[in-house]
This record gives sequence, C-alpha cells and structure tokens, in this order.
Amino acid sequence: MNFNFLGIAFLFLLFTACKNNQQTLPFLGETIVENGKEIHHKVGQINHYTQDSTLLTNKDLEQYIYVADFFFTSCPSICPKVAKEMLRIYNEVSDNPNVKLVSFTIDPKRDTPERLRLYAENLGVDHKKWLFVTGDKDATFELANTFFVAAFEDAESPGGFDHSGKILLIDKEGHVRSFSEGTDPSTTPKLIDDIKLLSESYNTKGK
Amino acid sequence: MKYIYLIIFAFSIVSCNNTPYVQGKRLFAANCANCHMEDGSGLGELIPPLNKSTLLGQASMVCIVKNGIKDTLFKDSTYLLKEMPSFSHLSATEVTNIINFINYKWQPSFKEITILDVEQALKTCQ
Ligand code: HEC
Repeated sequence: MNFNFLGIAFLFLLFTACKNNQQTLPFLGETIVENGKEIHHKVGQINHYTQDSTLLTNKDLEQYIYVADFFFTSCPSICPKVAKEMLRIYNEVSDNPNVKLVSFTIDPKRDTPERLRLYAENLGVDHKKWLFVTGDKDATFELANTFFVAAFEDAESPGGFDHSGKILLIDKEGHVRSFSEGTDPSTTPKLIDDIKLLSESYNTKGK
Repeated sequence: MKYIYLIIFAFSIVSCNNTPYVQGKRLFAANCANCHMEDGSGLGELIPPLNKSTLLGQASMVCIVKNGIKDTLFKDSTYLLKEMPSFSHLSATEVTNIINFINYKWQPSFKEITILDVEQALKTCQ
C-alpha cells in the first residue's frame, strides 16, 4: 500500500519533470556545430536610434528578452493590426522588468525619432519599455532578414513597402525563440505564454 | 412539450450567429477592420474606435467612408496618422451595407438606413 503510493508519487514526479523539459523553447533558424559546440542563429547588428534619440545596440538589449516587429508609422495596411497585438503583449508584460518591446521602422526617411515619439505617445506607452527605433534603411532590411521578416520597398504595396507582420521573441543572447503572426490575434496568447516561459528560464538559471 | 425549449434554444443560437448584413460584414472585414479592428476598438489615439463613434446611427457617416477624412477628429493636437483613405470605389449599396453592419453591431438603438438615406447624405458631404 505504502509502496504503491510512493510509486505513484514517483511517476507523477517523472511526468511533471518531463513536461518541464518539453517546455523549453526551441532555437529558430539554423544551428551549426563548431568544435563540438552548437551555435544557434542570432539576429544581426542593431545600430538604431530610439524615439528618445538615444543609440540602441545589441549590447543594450543583452539584459533583456525582447519582442520585436517591423513596421512604419504611415502604414495603411497591416500595421495597425500588428500594433494592436504588440499593445496586447505590452499590457501583459508591463510588470515584468526583464521584457522590452522593440519596433523597427522600415521607413526611416519619414519615421524620424520625433515622429516615432509621437507614435508612441499616441499609443500611450512607456518610452523605456517599448522602444521605437529607426536606422539605416538597407541595414534595417538586412536586419529584418535575420529576424525572418521579409521587408523590402515595393511601389505596388500600400504605403510603398512590403513586409510581413511577424512578432518575434528574442532571448538575451540574441536568438530567435518564438514568434506569432501579428495579423492573426489567435496566435498571440501562445507568444505571451512563451515570453513568460523564457523569462522564467532566466530566473531559474539565476542569471 | 420539452422539445419546444430545445427548438427555441437551437433557433436562438442560429439566429444569433447570423448577421443580417452579410455583405456589410464582409466589406468591413476587408476594408476597415485592419485599422478600426474587428471589434471596432480602434488603436490608442492613432485610430478612433467605431464602437463608440458619435456618428453611429447617422447616414452622414457615408461621407467619411466615401471621401476619407483628414485631421478633423484629432484637430489641434499633435496626433499622427490623422488620415483615413477614401473608399470612393465602394458603391452606395456597399456603403449602406457597411454602415448598417456597423450600426447593427455597435448601436443598441439601431435603426436601419436605406440606400436613399445614403444617397441623400452624399449630396450634403463637403
Ligand atoms: C488606413 C486606416 C483606416 C482604414 C482602412 C479605415 N479607417 Fe476609418 N478612420 C481612420 C482614421 C485615422 C480616422 C480618423 C481621421 C480623423 O478624424 O482625422 C478614421 C475615422 C473614421 C470614422 C469617423 C469616426 C468618428 O467617430 O468621427 C468613421 C465612421 C470611419 N473611420 C469608418 C471607416 C470605415 C467604414 C472604413 C472601411 C470602409 C474605414 N473607416 C477604414 C483610419 C482608417
């Protein structure tokens, strides 16, 4: 009787342990092995100015996990929808100091830091929590590729740019760990769960 | 006798799921929801909500849909994206259906407007 009980408790432990293991997020993109070490895909060089006109680089983001998207303020098509989902995420993570949001404009000509600042103010969000950044156009397009977001100029598209509405989750080391489709609100809850999971993984690692 | 409740229940489900303005719903999803959102909530202070618009129930809403709108709602402020594109390619019938759908969804004291109302209102647009 006692033994049975222990057995069940043990099984239960095993089960929950397995479940926890499964709950680490995958590394998206190509993983190569060098000298027996796995090297996961990382996002490219960030060298952008925020709505406060301060420089933002990969190094500044090392202490945070962050949620990224690519957009432009005068975008008449999918951007408001994606922004709405970003806002939903923003509200979910507002009390988690480990998480930031970064929105890269793909229209730096029009989207100056001042304009981005207005945009952020109109959204009513905290400038330190949700960064809207602008930089060199070609560099931003290249950077978008490393986030697996296709972005390019296209006269045929509404607003003159074509881009996907993906929202991406990046870890402290710069790896892409999860994403949602900003144009499909039903994919947002999973990303919110993944953000919590990733954030907690750093807490348990004691980092 | 018990069955009658079931039938009423089934009927109410079916009728609740059916929007009478099928074309309006489809056109709204295709043309308006990307900015004003499926639930009409808008986006912060960038795009006004439709579910609380003061224009609900008014045929003059057609002017905004047909001609677009710039810088009116948000005048005298530093708002961005103050522009709504015009939907001049939509016919009077299509706009009537969109407006009826919007009113049906967000105006409790909804009264259907007709194509005649819309054509009348179109004459008064600036
Ligand atoms: C590209 C984004 C965009 C799209 C698409 C769009 N709107 Fe708008 N809409 C706006 C903006 C921005 C305003 C506010 C403009 C202003 O007042 O300066 C607005 C204002 C309005 C208003 C006035 C609201 C009020 O309370 O005064 C109505 C009504 C409206 N839109 C209906 C529609 C309908 C119907 C459609 C689809 C046929 C549509 N909109 C498509 C961006 C958009």
